[in-house]
Amino acid sequence: MYGNLDALVLALSQLTQPISLALLIGGIVVGLVIGILPGLGPPIAIALALPFTFYLEPVPSMILLLGIYSAAIYGGSISAIAVGIPGTGAAIATVQDGHKMFKSGRGGEALGFSLTGSIIGGLVSALCLALVSPMLAELAIKFGPREYLAISVFGLLVVVRVAGQSLPKGLLAGALGIFLTTWGLDELNGTERYTFGSYHMYEGLPLVPFLVGLFAMSEVLIGAERALQKIDFSKESLSVKLPGLKTLGKMKDVILRSSLIGTIIGIIPGEGAAVGAFFAYSEAKRRSKHPEKFGTGIPEGIVAPETANNATVGGALVPTLTLGVPGSPAAAVLLGALLIQGLSPGPKLFTERPDLMYSIFIGLFVINILMVFIGLVAIRFAARLIMVPTSVIVPTVMLLCFVGIYSVSNSFFNVGVLLAAGILGYVIRKLGYSIAPLSIGFVLGPILENSLRQSLTIADGSVTEFFNTPIGLVIYAMLILTILWRPLMEWFKRAKTN
Amino acid sequence: MLSQRLANIVFVIVVLVACVWFGVIAEGFETSGLLASSGLPSKFFPQLTLGLTGACAIIVGLLYALRGSAGGDSGEMVFEEGAQARRSLLMLVVAIAAYFIWKNFGFIPMAVILGPLSLLAMGVRSIPIYLTVLALTAAVYLVFTRLLGVTLS
Repeated sequence: MYGNLDALVLALSQLTQPISLALLIGGIVVGLVIGILPGLGPPIAIALALPFTFYLEPVPSMILLLGIYSAAIYGGSISAIAVGIPGTGAAIATVQDGHKMFKSGRGGEALGFSLTGSIIGGLVSALCLALVSPMLAELAIKFGPREYLAISVFGLLVVVRVAGQSLPKGLLAGALGIFLTTWGLDELNGTERYTFGSYHMYEGLPLVPFLVGLFAMSEVLIGAERALQKIDFSKESLSVKLPGLKTLGKMKDVILRSSLIGTIIGIIPGEGAAVGAFFAYSEAKRRSKHPEKFGTGIPEGIVAPETANNATVGGALVPTLTLGVPGSPAAAVLLGALLIQGLSPGPKLFTERPDLMYSIFIGLFVINILMVFIGLVAIRFAARLIMVPTSVIVPTVMLLCFVGIYSVSNSFFNVGVLLAAGILGYVIRKLGYSIAPLSIGFVLGPILENSLRQSLTIADGSVTEFFNTPIGLVIYAMLILTILWRPLMEWFKRAKTN
Repeated sequence: MLSQRLANIVFVIVVLVACVWFGVIAEGFETSGLLASSGLPSKFFPQLTLGLTGACAIIVGLLYALRGSAGGDSGEMVFEEGAQARRSLLMLVVAIAAYFIWKNFGFIPMAVILGPLSLLAMGVRSIPIYLTVLALTAAVYLVFTRLLGVTLS
């Protein structure tokens, strides 16, 4: 389908252009910096870089964002190990063993394990992305409205299930996100819906300002709360000691398993890097001969979550690129970048822009390889970054959000949307809601509405016709299995012990 | 300092009122001409999502009213201390003020004021931090205007 040599050559020529190489390296550096700074995770890192992609061609812009995405996830582990404060949610599982190793004088080793695990996880998931996504795209090309409806329902409900501890709260946030996409002109018949007499609202709430507001602006407001907190850290510089092949050989099972867990969890819509890391950590502990040593500062406790969280990057790109359904909040922002470029993610993208697909696959490999060298250098400067006060980060990020969003369209309306989304994100986060279902709902809303209305038209109003599709049935069955899996396993466990 | 229970119940009431209001507005969505009879009416999907949002809000409200929590936040506070609340709410005011200053007086006054006002809102007193933030503001301005060629009016 997309396997023509011309596209591959074109991708390579675009990737080797000086601008692409500079952005690739720049993306990794920016991602590492933002990942190290506590509180600013991958979605915020990508959101802040989004406006810059407006001035770039699709390939360099995707390379920049992928570099930021991968490096930000890895960067979070550095502050997790050094100060016990995870730079990102994905690094929370790393704190337990990483910081213990650091405190016992084995910080260099701990940083080496996290870097190596991250690189291997990233490479494995990039390979899976390159192998799985073309096959899935080939299948997805046959999808009609009913299948897209099933995929969207699946994506949304899975996000709701994993986001936060309360299902009704997750559903409320998801439904709110979908509702907000109904603002603007009705795509099917041109009816004005919630435009409030403003021509700005004809196209609805703009995606990029909404997502940047939701992630970055809300984080700014939350960051202001802990602006005066002091970090107990006095090191001038950090060093890293990479593990030898013999040591890695002993952990090959943990590495391979965590890579696959991360990739698979990344593919499931909504299950982000943090879930992957925790799952891999608990799996490594469960299968270990010495599970009691986990949490006391052992290499496996770092390698498992770090391998898995970086493996979610490639996994999350599979549904994003092939179906247009984001695999994680960060992938939702990445999807926004494709829309900025005038590209609609989905199976057709593989036939329309095979060079872009090749560039993404190859780019992700190169990013992970370069991250070894850049990561080794970055760790030396990480001590200084960790010491950057939150009070400096908060106003700078706010200004970046303002200017970045304004620069995309020279529109104060978009800045207003950014601000409103930031306030909404802040309020719901403070009230214990997760912003993941809201953001995914906002991305999936138009797909859901269009596929639902088209499906009903095709089925002549009959709801049972929704299920008269083999692919749709498989997706619904997977959804039911996903929802019932945990209760069923617990039930089996209880039955076994009784 | 403001319990999760009380804050969530207030939020649920606001959501329910908003759902009713938006639902009533949706009743007025009318399609004219040939497209009027094609497919589902435009109000269907907004009202469907509003119904779902409202139903979830009622469940969340009931959970807080009857059990005191939804998702293990029993007895938790929205803000750990008063100073935290003051800092974030003042920051919110600064963000809104910055937007209106930019809109009415231009970018440079906003950019110059935003950093120091934010630091004041957060209670920062260190002069080097003020200088660092102003330097970063200048850097952001230069990157966008000189490097990317954006006109910041």
